[in-house]
Amino acid sequence: MSTYEWVKPLERIMNRPLAVLTVKPSEWKAAAEGAEACSEPYTDGGLKAGAWIEHEGKLWMIAEPGQKGLTVLEMDARDLEAKDKDLISWSLNHASIGLKAGDQGASESEKLAFKLGEWLQKQLEAEEPVYSLPDHLTVGSRLYHDMIPFLLVAEQSSVKQDVYPELEKLLRSFLSDDILLIPLKSREWLIWGPMSLLKDEDSDMHELAEEETLEDSLASIAIGLHEMLASEWLGECHLAVTHPVSPAKGMVEAAITMRETIHLGRKFHVGTNIHLPWMLQLERLLNAIPESNRSKYLEQSLKRADLFVEAEMLSTLDTFFSLDCNVSETAKKLYIHRNTLLYRLDKLKQETGLDVRQFRDAVLVKIILLLYKVTKRN
Amino acid sequence: MAGVRLEGIYKKYPGSDKASVTDVNLDIQDKEFLVLVGPSGCGKSTTLRMIAGLEEISEGKLFIGDRLVNDVAPKDRDIAMVFQSYALYPHMNVYQNMAFGLKLRKFKKADIDKRVREAAKILDIEHLLDRKPKALSGGQRQRVALGRAIVREPQVFLMDEPLSNLDAKLRGQMRAEISKLTKRLETTTIYVTHDQIEAMTMGDRIVVMKDGFIQQTDSPEQLYNNPKNIFVAGFIGAPSMNFISGTLSEQSGAVRFKAPGVDVAVPEGKAATLRSKGYIGKEVIMGVRPEDIHEEPVFLEASPNSIVNANVEVAENLGHEMYLYLNGIGSDTVIARVDGRSAIRDGASVKLALDMNKVHLFDKETELNIFEN
Repeated sequence: MSTYEWVKPLERIMNRPLAVLTVKPSEWKAAAEGAEACSEPYTDGGLKAGAWIEHEGKLWMIAEPGQKGLTVLEMDARDLEAKDKDLISWSLNHASIGLKAGDQGASESEKLAFKLGEWLQKQLEAEEPVYSLPDHLTVGSRLYHDMIPFLLVAEQSSVKQDVYPELEKLLRSFLSDDILLIPLKSREWLIWGPMSLLKDEDSDMHELAEEETLEDSLASIAIGLHEMLASEWLGECHLAVTHPVSPAKGMVEAAITMRETIHLGRKFHVGTNIHLPWMLQLERLLNAIPESNRSKYLEQSLKRADLFVEAEMLSTLDTFFSLDCNVSETAKKLYIHRNTLLYRLDKLKQETGLDVRQFRDAVLVKIILLLYKVTKRN
Repeated sequence: MAGVRLEGIYKKYPGSDKASVTDVNLDIQDKEFLVLVGPSGCGKSTTLRMIAGLEEISEGKLFIGDRLVNDVAPKDRDIAMVFQSYALYPHMNVYQNMAFGLKLRKFKKADIDKRVREAAKILDIEHLLDRKPKALSGGQRQRVALGRAIVREPQVFLMDEPLSNLDAKLRGQMRAEISKLTKRLETTTIYVTHDQIEAMTMGDRIVVMKDGFIQQTDSPEQLYNNPKNIFVAGFIGAPSMNFISGTLSEQSGAVRFKAPGVDVAVPEGKAATLRSKGYIGKEVIMGVRPEDIHEEPVFLEASPNSIVNANVEVAENLGHEMYLYLNGIGSDTVIARVDGRSAIRDGASVKLALDMNKVHLFDKETELNIFEN
């Protein structure tokens, strides 16, 4: 279990808030020298998981020793019984031995990825997250180069915790050796792909710039990646992609954007698995409106006609809007005669007074549909 | 190759009290081409996605060959999928797109090369192997997606509306090619579409679905000629079957069907069934296919007991055939399909005859075909 996952249950057991700090060995040494009590006398290089000191009314206990920094658990020392301290100390020490045994099979990149994941998860849960990676996590210069961020959320309950090596290998063979896979929550991963995925040696870059936007290229890579993951891995999954950024500077922001994107995509577009932040602008705006206001507006709108909620009308309007209100293309896509489509649109106009061939009314109907889809499931 | 067996398959999504797919039982034979067809939201794609392993099965058992695969990951099911989006890998060329699945399965380079080139030859895309997907047309991309499936030499092909993104001409062409290809490869194929022309022309058997339930599983001919209920009757065939609501009565030893503007005799074979099932005096729905309404004088002469009079609202001439939109037969508009050389024009009053040997009668309550159930 990673740091952040066991802190919350421990907080409940101890019935007091806990904080996870990164403490330099020198700071520990200084605190140990002025400590009111400690598990063992301080010795250089002798720090191990479970060692604790009490100073200024706080208990510090080492969760994970390290050369550059110690991961320390901080809690209020008041009313803490000796046996409680002994028990946590013993648990941390044994967990650390277990981690070391488990670590032996893990590669350096995997260890770093897990550390990044823990740090990132902490920032995502924090009220005021730190947006730049701390120095000890930015190994070399690799994380300072722009990369393409993807957020992957697997659906299947059969996805196991120890899937990391398999997924990393698959992504390396599909995207490039130069990827970074960071585990977040269970069944959630942040993937960083190289910028080379956007380059096309076959065509003139100038020509490319005219033909395809960056968003188009990102979407097409996401579609390909989703297809590969669905068919060559474990089945259905949700995938978001956002604009390239350097992981060192933009990791937290990219993760926040993509989590929100997947949340909005799943909420407003059930059945869609690839979620693009630039396609969900209206949804983001609507989501910010308080639920009660949304329901009230929808209730008033739907009073005007039940027609909106008919499956045939819903699919007709969805297709019509997805094809930029093009009547011929919509009729073709729906396998219906153009006149049948016009009849349906006229019927809607007759019953609701809204003509979706007019921009103004089309916007209103689009909003009603989006709100209806969310409310229907609530 | 292998057959596929679905036993009591259900799909329920969390938070929904209604199942999206209910009690689906199918025994798909080895080498069979089975088509799942139905309107959008009928559960056909969900069923296919459960076979593919993209969706978890809520209840029931799924076998590929003799292997229970409910908990087997998609990559280990020995299937290959082709979808509507035919999402190719944009950063790889055509060759790499087709080879990727084999590379993952650790095939030798020489074997991969052989399979990719053979598939490319079958699909006539040998000259495109070095190109990236972006440089291909819609039809070419679809071929590559098919190629990616073919090289795997799977036990089963799963295809979900693979042609719906193509224009009508290309769709017709690819339809024939997929049929030829699956016959040549002798691979079991499950194909989802809502296009009944695809269903009728490609399937050895067709499964018609509605609201998550299977309505009928049969050969294309059986479905067309002997639909089990009103839904299947109306869904298969274009223009759709006409439905006329009326009453059955016994008159001078013959059973007659009466509706506004209609008073026709039911042939004796069918009349006997109606009598034995107690339908005399009851309301039923008569189903008549557009081509079973005739205007030829010879047919009219031979069918004095099934003559109807109607007004032609619109006569649509498609060249080889003509659709007549008729008033006066029952309470709704009825469509007749007659010869394109017919002289009938808009606004004409016409005398037509129903081919009563081919009409269907449905129970008004259950909507089931009285003669098929």
